[in-house]
Amino acid sequence: MRRSWIRFLIVPLLVLPLGWLLFTGLGRDPRVIPSPLVGKALPAFAGTTLTGEQFSTASLAGKPAIINFWASYCIPSCVDEHPFLLDLAARHAADLQLVGVLVNDSPDGARGFLARYGQISWPTMLNSDGQITIAYGVTGPPETFFVDAAGIVRARHVGPLTAAVLAEELPLIGITP
Amino acid sequence: MRQYALPVALAALLALAGLAAVTLLRPAAPLTLAEESRALAAELRCPDCQALSVAESHTAAARAIRDEIDLLLAAGESPDAVRRHFTDSYGEWILLSPTAPIAWWMPVVALLIGVVGLMAWLLRGRRRAAEAGTSDASANVGDELQQDELRQRVRDELERLDA
Repeated sequence: MRRSWIRFLIVPLLVLPLGWLLFTGLGRDPRVIPSPLVGKALPAFAGTTLTGEQFSTASLAGKPAIINFWASYCIPSCVDEHPFLLDLAARHAADLQLVGVLVNDSPDGARGFLARYGQISWPTMLNSDGQITIAYGVTGPPETFFVDAAGIVRARHVGPLTAAVLAEELPLIGITP
Repeated sequence: MRQYALPVALAALLALAGLAAVTLLRPAAPLTLAEESRALAAELRCPDCQALSVAESHTAAARAIRDEIDLLLAAGESPDAVRRHFTDSYGEWILLSPTAPIAWWMPVVALLIGVVGLMAWLLRGRRRAAEAGTSDASANVGDELQQDELRQRVRDELERLDA
């Protein structure tokens, strides 16, 4: 009697954890890699921008920020998200700071992109040695980090920004979409 | 000749174990910075390519990571600190080999469960076969007893008729 109970228990004990692993594993988007930076202070950086000025993340203190990694060769994703960034900068000029970071791109390539798809009012880091890309664990453009006023990274989005993404992530940094 | 087989096999096994112990426990020669850098690059995943390590890839991101490894090692950082530097920004994803012990133990545990299950199944089959053999033997004994009884009854009947 006891042996038959054990036999009946063995199957669910083996199958249920395996089923749970497969269910949770297969339900995940393999392109979304969780960032260890979320919940931590933003990695600081400083350097030259596309317009030749100097920029440092120290100037972001006390203001929510969006750090957007992009490149001129990143087509169509970076082209698709560009209008959303322009709109965001226009609507939140006073309460949100945007910062662009080039990923393995030439300044000329980036300038050509902006001339074609719309000039920006925010700084874009040249990042010619790729140090900022490594510090943020970026796998490829476009990628965007949402940083709150206290300088804590609240979200990371891999892929082009859309209205739905902004509606979900902006409240995390205290900005109304 | 056969009596030497076991001692020879044991001696060979001991020699192999000794060789393995010496190979594993022998202190490795210290690596140069370039060798250390290459070994670390081979452990890290290239962020913008598919299934390639930083050491194998020629993308700008892989080059930047190789440069960063060189800089960190030259600054006196240990290999563990260099690994941590990259996992702090990319997560465990950047390492090509998993560090969680469960990833290494799972196949061993699965193999053990399989072996134990197979042995239990084989032993059960053997026990059932043995039980079946015993019951066949008892059935034969029963038949013989019955036949002896019948023979006795025939003998008694014949004796009664003779009388």
